[in-house]
Amino acid sequence: MEEYFKQMAELLEVDSVNTNDELNSFEAWDSLTILSIIAFVNDSYAVTLNANEIKEARTIGGLKKVIDSKKK
Amino acid sequence: MRPYVLITGASSGIGKAIAIKLSQNYNIILHGRNQSRLQQVRELCFEGDHIIWEKELGEVDNIEDNLASFIKANNIMIEYYVHSAGIMKMLPLKAQKIESIQEVFNINVYSAMLITKTLSSKKLNGGMLKSIVFISSNISQRGAKAFQVYAASKGALDSFMRSMAIELAPKIRVNSILPGAIYTDMTHHIFEDINFTTKMATNYPLGLGNPDNIADGVVFLLSDQAKWITGQQLVIDGGRTTDISE
Repeated sequence: MEEYFKQMAELLEVDSVNTNDELNSFEAWDSLTILSIIAFVNDSYAVTLNANEIKEARTIGGLKKVIDSKKK
Repeated sequence: MRPYVLITGASSGIGKAIAIKLSQNYNIILHGRNQSRLQQVRELCFEGDHIIWEKELGEVDNIEDNLASFIKANNIMIEYYVHSAGIMKMLPLKAQKIESIQEVFNINVYSAMLITKTLSSKKLNGGMLKSIVFISSNISQRGAKAFQVYAASKGALDSFMRSMAIELAPKIRVNSILPGAIYTDMTHHIFEDINFTTKMATNYPLGLGNPDNIADGVVFLLSDQAKWITGQQLVIDGGRTTDISE
C-alpha cells in the first residue's frame, strides 16, 4: 500500500496522498495523468484499467479497491 | 539467384506485409521473437528460400555476434535490409522510467545501428549489402502528447540514416520511410477508441492507410528504380502531415 501511495503521489505531482483524496481535486489531474496511471497499474499490478474505471473510482483508496478487485 | 533481404519485425503488421510483398522477388530472412508466428508468415510468402532469424532485439549486447553466426551458419550473404522492428508506448514523460526509455531505443534505434554495422562489414557479410530502408514514423518530424520517447527514437533513426547514407556511399543506399498511423498489432489499442479513429480518418486527406501502402514504398526504395536516391525520408501518410487547412 505504501508503494502505491508513493507512486500515485509522484504521478499526481504532490508530496503525499491519502486514501480519501479525490482524484479530480489534484492540480495535475488531466488526461495525461490518467494515461500515466493506466501504465503504472498495468506495469505494477498486471491490471488493465480504462479511463472511465479510473474516473469512477473517485478517490485514491477507491482506485486501489478497483485494482485489487481486478487482480487475478 | 534471388538476393536475400533481412526484414526485422516480420511477424506482424508492416514488417509482415513487407515480407509477403518482397517474397515475390527476394529470399526473405524473417526476423522476429516468436518462431511460430514467423512460420505462419513464411507460409504466406511466395515460394522461395526464406529463413527465420529468431532474436530478441531488446537484448542488444549480443546482436552483432548473433547475426554474424546466423549468416555463417546459413552460408548466405545479405544484400538488402529493412528495419521494421519497433515498439511504441504512449506514455507521458512523467510516467517514463530509464527502463522504458532504454527498451524503446534498444529496439527502434540501437539494434538498427548494430545490424547495419554487421551487414555492412566486408568480413561478416562479404561486402554484399546494397540498400537499407528504415521504417521510421511521420512523428519523427512532428510532435504529439505522450509520444516523446517514441518520436525521439524515430528522429534518432532518421539522423542515423542520413549519416550512414553518406558514410556508406556509393556502395550502399540508405533511406527511411515515415508512415502515418497504420492499424497493426502495435497500434490497435489506439484504434480501439472509436472517437479517436473517426477523428484520425478525417485528419488523413487520403483516408487511413494499411501496411501494404508502406510495403509498396519499400519495394521502390530497395529497387534499381531508386538507384540515385539515398539519405532521404519518404513520408507515406496519406497527406496527414502536409495538411494545414484548418
